[in-house]
Amino acid sequence: MSQVETGKTLLEAKALSRHFIVKGDGGFFSKRKSIAAVEGADVALRAGKILAVVGESGSGKSVLARLLSRIVSPTSGELVLNGETVDLKTQRDLAYASQVQLVLQDPFAAMNPVRRVGHSLERPLSIHGVPEDEISARAHEILESVSLTPPQQFLDRYPHELSGGQLQRINIARALAVKPKVLLADEPISMLDVSVRLGILNLLRSLCDDKNLAIMYITHDIASARYIADEVVVMYAGQIVERSNDTSLINSPQHPYTQLLIASVPDPTKLGAEVVKAPSGGAAAFNLNGCRFSPRCSQALAMCATNEPPMVEVAPGQHAKCWLHASDAQRASVTISNKSKNEMESKNV
Amino acid sequence: MKHLQLPKSLKVRIGLAGLGMFILLTIIGPWIAPYDPNYTGFAQNASPSWNHLLGTTIQGQDVLSQLLIGCRSTMVVSFIAGFLATIISIVIGVASGYVGGKADEGLSVLSNVFLAIPGLPLLIVLNSYLPAGQQTNPLVIGSVIALTGWAWGARVLRAQTLSLRDRDFVEAARIIGEKRVRIMFGEIGPNLLPILTSSLLFTILYAVGVYTTLAFLGLTNVSTWNWGTMLYWAQSNNAGLAGEWWWVGPPGIMIALIGTSLALINFGIDEFINPRLRAGGVSAKLRRASGAPRRPRLGLTPVLHKSTEAGSR
Amino acid sequence: MTDKTILEVQNFDVDYGYGDAAVRAVSDVSFTLGASKVLGVAGESGSGKSTLVYGLTRLLREPGVIVGGEVKFHLDGEGEFDILSASEEEIRKIRWSHISIVLQSALSALNPLRRIGREFDEVLRVHDANLSKEQRRERSEELLALVGLRPDRLRRFPHELSGGQRQRIMIAMALALRPELVIMDEPTTALDVVTQREIVSELAELRRQLGFAMIFITHDLSLLVELADDIMVMYAGQIVERAPAKELHDAPRHPYTLGLMNSFPPLHGERTELEGIPGSPPDLKALPTGCPFSPRCAFAMDKCRQERPPLVLEAGTEHSVACWLHDSSYQGAVPVELSKRLAKNSGGAQ
Repeated sequence: MSQVETGKTLLEAKALSRHFIVKGDGGFFSKRKSIAAVEGADVALRAGKILAVVGESGSGKSVLARLLSRIVSPTSGELVLNGETVDLKTQRDLAYASQVQLVLQDPFAAMNPVRRVGHSLERPLSIHGVPEDEISARAHEILESVSLTPPQQFLDRYPHELSGGQLQRINIARALAVKPKVLLADEPISMLDVSVRLGILNLLRSLCDDKNLAIMYITHDIASARYIADEVVVMYAGQIVERSNDTSLINSPQHPYTQLLIASVPDPTKLGAEVVKAPSGGAAAFNLNGCRFSPRCSQALAMCATNEPPMVEVAPGQHAKCWLHASDAQRASVTISNKSKNEMESKNV
Repeated sequence: MKHLQLPKSLKVRIGLAGLGMFILLTIIGPWIAPYDPNYTGFAQNASPSWNHLLGTTIQGQDVLSQLLIGCRSTMVVSFIAGFLATIISIVIGVASGYVGGKADEGLSVLSNVFLAIPGLPLLIVLNSYLPAGQQTNPLVIGSVIALTGWAWGARVLRAQTLSLRDRDFVEAARIIGEKRVRIMFGEIGPNLLPILTSSLLFTILYAVGVYTTLAFLGLTNVSTWNWGTMLYWAQSNNAGLAGEWWWVGPPGIMIALIGTSLALINFGIDEFINPRLRAGGVSAKLRRASGAPRRPRLGLTPVLHKSTEAGSR
Repeated sequence: MTDKTILEVQNFDVDYGYGDAAVRAVSDVSFTLGASKVLGVAGESGSGKSTLVYGLTRLLREPGVIVGGEVKFHLDGEGEFDILSASEEEIRKIRWSHISIVLQSALSALNPLRRIGREFDEVLRVHDANLSKEQRRERSEELLALVGLRPDRLRRFPHELSGGQRQRIMIAMALALRPELVIMDEPTTALDVVTQREIVSELAELRRQLGFAMIFITHDLSLLVELADDIMVMYAGQIVERAPAKELHDAPRHPYTLGLMNSFPPLHGERTELEGIPGSPPDLKALPTGCPFSPRCAFAMDKCRQERPPLVLEAGTEHSVACWLHDSSYQGAVPVELSKRLAKNSGGAQ
């Protein structure tokens, strides 16, 4: 298999959005409303690079992973795989599955509990056309590539007989069995014991470097993101609010949400530091009209509540979706248009 | 299954023994029956004796022979009905649960209709349409019974499939590229085994009951011997009133016994089928031996003072 | 807030199962807890941390059974309370009014069919029959205000609230009767980091106001360093190290503690490759002879594989560690990573 050149964009999402229709709060007869689980996401996954997507539950990061793997179809936007636009109207096919794979969060839940590990590992090989007599050898090979030796011992076991760390390696192995170019990992270490997490992260890093995979690493733990990522993206309420081409946004976060996130992480080296407190409510309390973070933002401007902020470059290679960093011209134009809108409305009354 | 071992629970072992006995009787019944059940030459209404262990009927037929021969007919039809009904319920239940949408709606309506229609009257009606020659064919009768008995199992399997469908490992199978049918029967299917087996056992029991009732009502061919037919003849000759317990009792007891065996097996089937549960839980014997209370109360963890041997065990 | 000890635990053992099938989940645990202090208990799966605290309060479920040791509480107005020999009635009296517990997942602890107000009402009614319904409602609203929730939350069902709000309610319920000791079993593990930060700072404020002691269980060692006065690290049912929080962080003595701390990638500073701890968490059914951590320990010696090291308090400090490297019998040099570090910057893995 020829190596893809490092840095080449393998999978790209353009303005990807996914809305869900849910019932309103008013009980049985309430109106249905549309919730944007992911909105306007632009991500690019490059060979040999790890992109970290950081966000809390409800931020849309998991939905984004499922959109990219085409398990869930978007309501709008584009996907480009290897430079070719993907036809989103048709069902996900085997060809796509062989290029883009997804590893799930709970290693125990991701394996069929009543089948042996060998079965779960051999199925993808069989589906993707590996000849019958080669399957066993390939299964052994893959297990060795994730440092599970002797392989046969693991193939014969049931999932509940193995530890979380071992199972997650097997899940990764299963995803790699089809030799994908892109690997999406949805919180792969959150449910593992602390002492085995680094092992999995190191594994992902080495797989990325050795096989020139494009890896998207989804997490709520920004410290782990910093550990293995080449590029970082922060999501809030379905939108990307800050991004950087390296991990600089962790050292100097510009978006108020990122700042809050980083200040909240327990950091033993900063004992006694002042704690930033934001009004509670979580991602559910976001404002649909303007900036979604504005209800909780201690630095919000008046326009944040009514106008959605643009994505602005705040440093070389770093962008934040925030009015605080918008240029005076951008803000001015919004103020003008707001004023005229208000005038028109009051005239019509 | 590589690690097949006898279930530990006493209840299950008794149930399996009972079932085994009935299967044995099904096979060898006609051979060990002492007499021809149709032969009417014996003393009439005789109570049990060494010659006739279960006495004779009013027409002078040996009850025991009738019972043993009848076993085969009853069991064969019931098992056929049970298996057929279960197969139908798997196909309809799992497909409807996994596929969802319009197909699910349609199949659910079908299940609900069959569930709502009273089984016995439907059976009677269907039975009466059968050509006379077919009425003794166990396959045909079994199928007819299956037609009324699949709906409940289908509902249960659909519900279980619905809950399994959202599990991560099903999603993982889809991500790998597994086809729908293979997911249904290769991934979800094995997880349904406990419920399936339970459903099968109960459907067989249902079939026993229904077949016996049909025969008791005289709606099947009364010249084929089965437990229901025996009861039919006993009833029409007022055996109960006459106190001929040896004629009325045994068929009923046999039905009760097969039912009990199936129910006992049901108790322990989960442990046997689910590899995770095979490790076994806490044995009541061990608990008693160590002196802990029989039923530890919540909020009052038992305290036993033993010599502590800390370290490896 | 005096120097009073409110909890004394000696040689506490807990098994799962009986007879030959029994598995030791907590082994020979001894510690004390001072009034108004926070004890953090850190560990991973199989460490026994949850089993320990549920055992201490006799809340452990089947097939857990306490097989040895002594647990004595020293409570206001009750004197010394030996929970292992107490009757159900006696335990019921002190439970919740003196000792309460906050469970890991509030969603499973709250009845989904009941409004929050009813849960509070029940707790208050069971423990103080003198309060009228109106008084109970007032008290419930007070408690909600204590944790920063509006009184209208009383009318909600659990599923209508966010994870953070539910956890706050659990905390409010735990504080309903002003207990002296609150046990928290991974209360923030299921919450996002921002909510966790809020709850932790609220807990600090509540402690300032009400002065209760806390046992806080978590796998997140870095959180404990901020929150706890003392930290106890458990592995395979045994305490392997106990020290004041800052000291544990600056100068860990046990290889497991060191490995655990190195498993948290730093948010600032140099980006280096870290290793975590090789191997898997222990299988309690098949523990090795000697120190249970020895198979994964980079510094293991022969003695470690033969004999289990006792928990030894280092003279003149409050630091105990169960490791042969620090035992007086060990003649060799203690590895640099595990010896006293005067300044955080003096090299070593961090």
